[in-house]
Amino acid sequence: MTGVHDVPYLVVTIGCVAAVSFLSRASFAFLPESVKLPPRVQRSLRHAPVCALAAIVAPAIFTEHGASALSVYNYRIWAVLAAGAVFAKTRNMLAMMVVGMAVFTALRLA
Amino acid sequence: MAPATLALAAWGIVTGVAMVKGGLPVGVALVFSLVAYAGTAQLATLPLILVHAPWPLVMVTSTFISLRFVIFSAGIRSAFVRLPLRQRLASAYFQGDLPFVLFGKRFGTVEHDGNETHWGFYYGAALTCFVVWHVSAVTGILLGSLAPTSWGLDLAAALAITAVLIPMLTNVPAVVGLIVTSVLAVLTIRVPLRLGLLASIVCGLAAALAVETVLDRRSSTVVHAAETL
Repeated sequence: MTGVHDVPYLVVTIGCVAAVSFLSRASFAFLPESVKLPPRVQRSLRHAPVCALAAIVAPAIFTEHGASALSVYNYRIWAVLAAGAVFAKTRNMLAMMVVGMAVFTALRLA
Repeated sequence: MAPATLALAAWGIVTGVAMVKGGLPVGVALVFSLVAYAGTAQLATLPLILVHAPWPLVMVTSTFISLRFVIFSAGIRSAFVRLPLRQRLASAYFQGDLPFVLFGKRFGTVEHDGNETHWGFYYGAALTCFVVWHVSAVTGILLGSLAPTSWGLDLAAALAITAVLIPMLTNVPAVVGLIVTSVLAVLTIRVPLRLGLLASIVCGLAAALAVETVLDRRSSTVVHAAETL
């Protein structure tokens, strides 16, 4: 069974994401003024989102059917490289999307 | 503000499309988007939910991604700290990446009590983002449901996350964290319950912090050496 057909599971997971999202935004609204975030902790927290996102996106690009797919025939790698280059240069999300999908589609149909 | 909201609208549409093309039914995607109001965390937890990963893993993953909000929360606190709890929580609910950045650009770090100018600017930015986000995400979800699956739009989610990642890679420790986490996440893909994911994040974060500590020590040594000259 996939997660999308398990309604109690969806309620719990969506509830978790919503709760974590709110509690993190409200974290310091709950705390008294005397509690400060030490610079060292603040800087440690800064790298957590990068790692969490990398852990999600790397398997989405570099694996296929539960196995690593490091090959020139993995079109998603080319698509992400092209899209990443466009975004790094232009900071334009739509341009990046269009280029990434165009590269992927062109390779897939070629 | 205008270019920022355009970018936000694009990001909302992309997230909406990515959610349905990733495999969520339209109804679930709408509820998820409207309830969570958590763009990146939604995209990141989506593949976990699709494979029925244990819910604590979903929670831990979204916690890591949401940790930046703890920093934001600390950053704007002094402007809101004297308000009643209910108003502080309301301001927190509408917090997001963009309001934080705009507020910081306008006022710098507020180290004193906030006033009407701060609150007015904050709510102006935050409510605009709130409305733009939800309208564009719903649009994306509905548009995404119309596009055929064969277009491979599930790749849109990976592209969207890449776009969030790139601006974060401004320093060496972040790049090290990215590389270590990515390699481990790919190598551990067969570990059951996607637990390799959690291990990869922890190792990547440890590597980033280790590199940061070494670089800090070296630069402080250089400063020290320069001072003694």
